Amino acid sequence: MIIRELYIKNFGKFSEQHFYFHDGVQVISGENEFGKSTIHAFIRAMLFGLERGRGRAAAKDDFTRYEPWDNPGYYAGVMRFSCGGRNFRLERSFARMNRQVSLVCEDDGEELSVEHGDLDMLLGGMTAELYDSTVSIGQLKARPGEELPEALENYAADYLETGGTQMDLNRAVQILRERRKAAAKALRIEQEREEEEKKALEQERMYLERDMEDLRKEYEDLSEQEKAAHEQANRRQTDCEKSGGLEHAQGGAEPKKASVKSLLAAGGAGLLISVMGLAWSQAVAGLSKGSNSLPFAVIAGGIGIAGVALLVCGAVSLVKARSRQREQIRKAEKSAVENKDGEQVDFEEKMRRLSWEMGRIQAQFKEKEIRRGNLLEQAGEFRPGEKRMALERRCRALELAAQELLRAGEETSGQMTDLVNQKASEIFSDITCGKYRGMTWDRENGFRVWDGTRRIPADRLSRGTLEQIWFSFRMAGAQVLQEEPMPVILDETFAFYDEKRLQSALKWLRGQKKQVIIFTCHDREELV
Amino acid sequence: MRFIHIADVHLGASPDAGPLYSRERAGELWDTFRRVISVCERERADLLLIAGDLFHRQPLVQELKEVNFLFSELSHTKVVLIAGNHDYIRPDSYYRTFEWADNVFPLFGEEMEYIDFPELKTAVYGFSYHSREMADPVYDRAKACGIEPCEILLAHGGDEKHIPIDRRKLAGSGFTYIALGHIHKPQALIRDRAVYAGALEPTDKNDTGPHGYVRGEATEAGLRTWWIPCALREYIHMEIPVSQYDTTGSVGKRIEKEINRFGNENIYKLELTGKRDPDVEFDTEWLAGRGNVTEVIDNSSPAYDFEALYRENEHTVLGRYIRRFSECREGSLEYQALCEGVDALLESRR
Repeated sequence: MIIRELYIKNFGKFSEQHFYFHDGVQVISGENEFGKSTIHAFIRAMLFGLERGRGRAAAKDDFTRYEPWDNPGYYAGVMRFSCGGRNFRLERSFARMNRQVSLVCEDDGEELSVEHGDLDMLLGGMTAELYDSTVSIGQLKARPGEELPEALENYAADYLETGGTQMDLNRAVQILRERRKAAAKALRIEQEREEEEKKALEQERMYLERDMEDLRKEYEDLSEQEKAAHEQANRRQTDCEKSGGLEHAQGGAEPKKASVKSLLAAGGAGLLISVMGLAWSQAVAGLSKGSNSLPFAVIAGGIGIAGVALLVCGAVSLVKARSRQREQIRKAEKSAVENKDGEQVDFEEKMRRLSWEMGRIQAQFKEKEIRRGNLLEQAGEFRPGEKRMALERRCRALELAAQELLRAGEETSGQMTDLVNQKASEIFSDITCGKYRGMTWDRENGFRVWDGTRRIPADRLSRGTLEQIWFSFRMAGAQVLQEEPMPVILDETFAFYDEKRLQSALKWLRGQKKQVIIFTCHDREELV
Repeated sequence: MRFIHIADVHLGASPDAGPLYSRERAGELWDTFRRVISVCERERADLLLIAGDLFHRQPLVQELKEVNFLFSELSHTKVVLIAGNHDYIRPDSYYRTFEWADNVFPLFGEEMEYIDFPELKTAVYGFSYHSREMADPVYDRAKACGIEPCEILLAHGGDEKHIPIDRRKLAGSGFTYIALGHIHKPQALIRDRAVYAGALEPTDKNDTGPHGYVRGEATEAGLRTWWIPCALREYIHMEIPVSQYDTTGSVGKRIEKEINRFGNENIYKLELTGKRDPDVEFDTEWLAGRGNVTEVIDNSSPAYDFEALYRENEHTVLGRYIRRFSECREGSLEYQALCEGVDALLESRR
């Protein structure tokens, strides 16, 4: 592709201005503020359009920077170029309200469509990024806090791993890792929340189990009490049977009975003696037919009366004793029954209370057991929530993304590195007039140059040589990445070059059979 | 003969209903149950059929007493119930020992049995779960005996682990009506003959759609049923399509509008779908901040034109990265990784 003419209608400081270009190397020199950078930006805007940035970025993007002050509605230009042996006219209007683009083939008047990718076809897949990183070369720039060799290293690593874009593989991977960290943290919080929920269930279950244990103890206690009461009752029963109140009452009546018996015996004996005395007095009277038998009869009668009296006494006291005894027995029996009845009532009352208590405890225990079972069931049904699953998925996706990104980087740099190293070596060798035979870049050692005997790391080289390494590297990249040879635009690239190396660089450029446009504020290039 | 058929009341459950309603939700299940009982009383239904899972888990005595009290207040209606897989009859279940009111007829046996109501010319068949799962398709073998003109089967199940149900075999079983439970979504397997009443109230955030009970009437002309919605709330899963012009705020506004449209009493689960501006990340926590939203899942993907990106960056790391995922489907884990990676790469540009 060769740029033939730039017609800047209204863009930055220029209006209605034509610039003409030819094939091969040409130099546009001018003093500071001549508008070199504006021309440079205009070429880029014509090729790739001028998108407005979004948000804060818009304040200092190219659109705002080159928007004409006087007449912002008229913000346009034309570029004529040839490509693949045909001539084209590309016209754009960048104005906010009136954005337009047209592409016409000047040879046959055919209207082409930029929207449908016709311009992309002509550019051979060159994108704005690729353009920035290859054909358009300024000076090696360092980011704040970065040394130049370091900047060069970083640039090369990014360049090779991302395939000549301004993307930064390491940073992208870093971004993914940070996001993963944030997602993992959110996941942990969510997991903890779920754990809390589970723990609350478990806690409730533990409380229940403690209650159940208490109830069990209480129940055991009561059943002990019940057992003891039973034992006591049994003991009392056997005691009663062994030495009941009845025998005791009978024993108490015994002595009286004995005295009654002796009275009855004495009466009986008196009666017997009096009968025998009477019989004796009769016998004596019959033998002696005298009156001396009378005293015997009197004595016997006296004894007989005494005997009858004794007998009567004995009989009365016997009857009395009998009735008293019966009374006593009845009393004893009655008191024993009364006594026994009272104890029985107490015992039964206690037993009823105990069994009621135990029943209540059993019921409570079962209720709690059921609740415990339900809690266990609930815990068993626990499933991770959707939020947690989404977070887990995001973590996995981010991990996969970082992995694949590194592989894509390796793939890119693997294909690029060898080719770029080889081409860059040739260019570098040409520019340094053979002082160095070659240069290599790899991830471990960074840039090193080869002077035929030693490999010298880039950080030991002068600024000029660093600039030349960079130039070689970018030109090599352009060769590798471009399908259609694009014009090379050099903006103050050679400021640090000595005469000799400038000469050989320009010589090399001339040998490339490409359109080369050099912007400079010196006239060294022009002279050479 | 008029009846009301309910199922899956799940008393005792406390379903997630978002921060606003979760606390009262357990009580709402009882409220709706009470309401159905009062409907039975008001309409003087002859039978209240409960097709299992009256309770969410093993019932406690206090809960049984509560339910029994409600039943006992019915002056006309007789209640027939079976136990389902949630409140199955465990060896220690209170169902075994509880003494019900006179108008309650539990079918708690493990084998099929029936209760005859000659005055209603109706017999009700059924049996209860005695374990949490039952893979045997028992209802395939169920047959009506023909003792009454109207014969009803109370059945609970219909998935692989809970008595699989074969619609055709049910159709040939000879029952006048089959009152089904277990599936929470109300549906008729056979119109007016085999009907899932569905859960009385939705008891899980995935029980979407309306819920209620079945009212039926058996006459000499046949049996007709009506499904009556009565749940207090509905779970609604809603897709919220987003575009490249949306931000968290604009999506929040739309959500508010939609919720107002579909009812503030309902409980929502929202899914963001479609293509969002790659620079925008929706704050789902904030969006779910409304009281009656259980969760907001962001399934939108950044509006990248991957084909165009690939065409423009074929030889760069971006192109190669996109190519590594060329086979993946939208919505897959790989697709998510693709979006994240492209996003990170573009953000890494200086």
